[in-house]
Amino acid sequence: MIELLPLVIALPLAGAVFLHFFGRRIGEPASGWIATLAIGAAFVVGLVNAVPAFTGELHHAEHVAIWDWMPAIGASLEIQWDALSVLMTLVVTGVGTLIHVFAIGYMHGDPRFSRFFTYLNLFAASMLTLVLAGNFAMLFMGWELVGLCSYLLISFWYTKPSAAAAGKKAFVVNRIGDFGFMVALMLIFLNFGTLSYGGVFERAGEVLTTGTAVAIGLLLLVGAAGKSAQVPLYVWLPDAMEGPTPVSALIHAATMVTAGVYVVSRAAAIFELAPAAGYAVATVGAVTALWAATIAIGQSDIKKVLAYSTVSQLGYMFLAAGLGGYVAAVFHLMTHAFFKALLFLGSGSVIHGMADEQDMRKMGGLRKHMPTTAATMGVATLAIAGIPPLAGFWSKDEILGVAFEGGTYGQVLWVVGLITAMLTAFYMTRQWVMVFMGEPRWDDGVHPHESPRVMTIPLVILAVLSVVGGLVNTPFRLGLEHFLHPAFEGIDLAHPSEEMSVFAILAAVSVLAGVAGIAVGYLVYNRPPARWTKFQEGFGGLWTAWEQAYRVDDIYGATIVKPGKRLADAAAFKFDLPVIDGLVNGAGWLVRTVGSKLRVVQTGLVRNYGVLFVAGVLAAVIWMVVAGGGV
Amino acid sequence: MMTLAQLGSDVSWMAIAPELVLALGAALVLLIDVQFKPKTGGSLAWTTGFVLAAAFGFALAQWLRLADIPISERFPFGRMVIVDGTGLLARFVLLVVTGLAVATGWRLFERLGRRRAEALALILLSAAGFQLMAVSVHLVMMFMGLEVGSIALYVLAGITRERADSDEAAMKYFLLGSVASAVFIYGVALTFAGTGSLNILEQNQFLTQNILLAPGVLLVGLALCIIGLTFKVSAAPFHAWAPDVYQGAPAGLVGYMAAAAKVGAFIALWRLVDLGFPTMRASWAPVVAGIAALSMVVGAVLAAVQSDVRRMLAYSGVAHAGFILTGLLSGIDGIRGVWFYLAVYTLQLVGAFGVVAAVTGASTSRSAISDFAGLGRRQPVLAVVFSTLLLGMAGLPLTSGFIAKFGVFQDAWQAGFEWLVIVAVLASVIAFFFYLRVIVTMFMEEPSGDDHASVGVVARWVLALVAIVTVVLGILPAPLLELAGDAVAR
Repeated sequence: MIELLPLVIALPLAGAVFLHFFGRRIGEPASGWIATLAIGAAFVVGLVNAVPAFTGELHHAEHVAIWDWMPAIGASLEIQWDALSVLMTLVVTGVGTLIHVFAIGYMHGDPRFSRFFTYLNLFAASMLTLVLAGNFAMLFMGWELVGLCSYLLISFWYTKPSAAAAGKKAFVVNRIGDFGFMVALMLIFLNFGTLSYGGVFERAGEVLTTGTAVAIGLLLLVGAAGKSAQVPLYVWLPDAMEGPTPVSALIHAATMVTAGVYVVSRAAAIFELAPAAGYAVATVGAVTALWAATIAIGQSDIKKVLAYSTVSQLGYMFLAAGLGGYVAAVFHLMTHAFFKALLFLGSGSVIHGMADEQDMRKMGGLRKHMPTTAATMGVATLAIAGIPPLAGFWSKDEILGVAFEGGTYGQVLWVVGLITAMLTAFYMTRQWVMVFMGEPRWDDGVHPHESPRVMTIPLVILAVLSVVGGLVNTPFRLGLEHFLHPAFEGIDLAHPSEEMSVFAILAAVSVLAGVAGIAVGYLVYNRPPARWTKFQEGFGGLWTAWEQAYRVDDIYGATIVKPGKRLADAAAFKFDLPVIDGLVNGAGWLVRTVGSKLRVVQTGLVRNYGVLFVAGVLAAVIWMVVAGGGV
Repeated sequence: MMTLAQLGSDVSWMAIAPELVLALGAALVLLIDVQFKPKTGGSLAWTTGFVLAAAFGFALAQWLRLADIPISERFPFGRMVIVDGTGLLARFVLLVVTGLAVATGWRLFERLGRRRAEALALILLSAAGFQLMAVSVHLVMMFMGLEVGSIALYVLAGITRERADSDEAAMKYFLLGSVASAVFIYGVALTFAGTGSLNILEQNQFLTQNILLAPGVLLVGLALCIIGLTFKVSAAPFHAWAPDVYQGAPAGLVGYMAAAAKVGAFIALWRLVDLGFPTMRASWAPVVAGIAALSMVVGAVLAAVQSDVRRMLAYSGVAHAGFILTGLLSGIDGIRGVWFYLAVYTLQLVGAFGVVAAVTGASTSRSAISDFAGLGRRQPVLAVVFSTLLLGMAGLPLTSGFIAKFGVFQDAWQAGFEWLVIVAVLASVIAFFFYLRVIVTMFMEEPSGDDHASVGVVARWVLALVAIVTVVLGILPAPLLELAGDAVAR
């Protein structure tokens, strides 16, 4: 069955191509169902092929060659099927299918309904190209394609200036990361002479010096930080919320933004040779986790909270991966895909029911009107807050466990992680309470209603996954650990302590932190808004800073964007125009002048041509005889 | 010396089957015309297509079983003909080019009336001639092929004989071509005097076994042979005929005339210098390099100042001849690059002249660049096709032309002709200017005057196909490169 794997990419791609040409004619909702069918079928194909991985028969990576493009440099279309790609494929197609279904309801009535699903399918194909790639060239192809799709989907409502600007911002910021990523690939090619995973990772130990490994690792981190929205390149993700909410759920929570975590895990063999680069990854992750969590506290836009929360949770994953806890990172990647997708879809359901209202200060009391949404989002909130036995508890605890075992520096990061966990519990509870509890604070003319089945069923399924998803890897049964082990053959994985007592204490501490966060959030925000203000004023300027996201955008604007523009202007008008253009025009003038002079020879008279011919013959013959020593 | 009996013993009709089919096909076309006097060209078109396909089929059959042919049967007809991959590839290219030329220039054949049968027969005959030239390892045989091909081309240049400039073109081509033929055959005679053989392989054998103390006669002979062939590919300074002929001859035929002669002559030249005289490389290589450099510079610079598209293409052809000669210099290793270049360039050439014929009329001789103004709006498909072909000739990355140029440059560099590669790159840069000028005119200038552009359905599809191939080979050159490499290996 393994030879069917290319279908995993081909099916959504075919869906995208088909919808591109016939989508408009098919219309709504059929084109949405076709797109869903395409990615659903991809999920089934992936699942069937995943069976050997589940039964433990997939010891080594299987390879399926699709097309040998440039075999000399190991750049071909080739699928690598190992535990890591199995897991990523199932998450992308599984969660992706649910989000496709949800979007059929959410995008109802949009004039570009079918175009939306074209992009969504194209994105799925691109993301699957990324995770299934068997070499860095194909990985990079997927990497750039998901960036393109992200751009297209963020600015899907391109008539809205803010959406167009957000798309542009995401594109430009990602370019910075991609630059680092590209240089990393070049370094890899220079050192190994190939881009195929096998050729690189198996020989990494003998080929790379520590310095080179650190350089590659840091450059990969730059790329990963761009795509996964880490400090300092995270600024595009909150703006990306301008896109339709299913896009936020699929691309900016569950799949694309985890590509950075995936790449770091994939390149574990390189990071293992470069502990310094690993620490850099962990540090970036920890800083991002805390930084974004504080900003999330101050947001009042329902999607902005989730956006910063995503940035923060991605930081968590980086923290784990940097310390060598790849299993923990991938584990959290998976559970986060479940509950964050659920939170985004839930917020979408709320926005849908509230007639496109996104400000939480104008919500409240919605649980009576949207019971399913309220319940499922409540589950997700508890999951992300780390309340056992929900999914988030197990994965977050494993990350904290890894950090705690990571020496002194690891324990510093553990403290950061713990504070973040508490803040996470707080702002998520704050959000849920502000939206679903208390008195209605709606604008006039808003009549909230529960969303249709096509939207709530995916919510319920994701809620179930958010509850049980963590059980695949508990200290009592390390299922995921064993499952992923073949993919990290020869890598020294970081683990939480195996002592049950250590686990129990750490778990108790983190649950306590979570409960504390929830309690504060509930007690403060389950009261009239006047009391919130009082609470917020208690933080003074700090709260304003959080509310304004530390004004990072303004700082970037003043320090990077403006000088950059000035430099570009100078290059264009002070250098390019007079110097480069002058050179080019000068060369053109020279050619024309010489040509016009030479043209005189072309008289049109055969006798002149004959003379030229004979002269040429004489010259050539004499030259040849002299050069050949014939005389 | 060989006796007649020996000659009879190694006749292999299969070895020259494609040429026989073409020659018989030419006769068939004429007979159909005489017997049935068809009013429209339909039956003749089908016949021509069938003949070309049959010839292609024979060549393909031979290609497929090439590996099984023992070395003893590789040189039939008393070692006059060679059976090898290079010769077969030459046929493939020539037959494809011929088919494309007929398809894209069909408007011209319609206008020729009853003379269309003559034109088609002449095309088939000239293709047969140039193919023979490409598969011969005997200098007289090579000359025969050259003459059969060339004489047919002289007539074709003047086929629209009611037009004075067409006659003028034919006459010029004939006069200068005759001089070149004379030079070539004189060179052949001198090489015979120098080596005692007319067979390229035997000449090589002689030169490897003997040391010539005074090779003067032989060197003059070789120089004259090379000049005779470089005339046919319109390399400078033997190019003066090309712009006048390209402009005067009917547009629908120029593409074929230029492409066919180039394929035959370049392969013959390669056989001559690399199979016959590798021992005298030190003598001929600098001269060929000089011709190549001069061609590239003169071609590029003069193309830049032309105001007529056909003259521009003629001079750009001079430059391209220089590029291909650059590839030839790298010896046996370079032939793969030369092959690729020849194949993609001739395709683009025929396609480009197909567009010129469509835009300015198949039988006219005026094709000012200004006639192309606004073509992007009038005939978007045609304009895009033409742009693609021009960019391909310019060697823009992602077109086949880039891969071709890159290949010959790389080979030449490795063969030690660094200076020539630098000249070639500079010439390529100049070349961008005049190709882009046409594209800019097509898309950025307002249409002036009347719109004569018209293109048949078949021609449109064929042209689009050529453009697509140009791009596809620019992204995926591997199959054709492998084919070319294969041909050399066989």
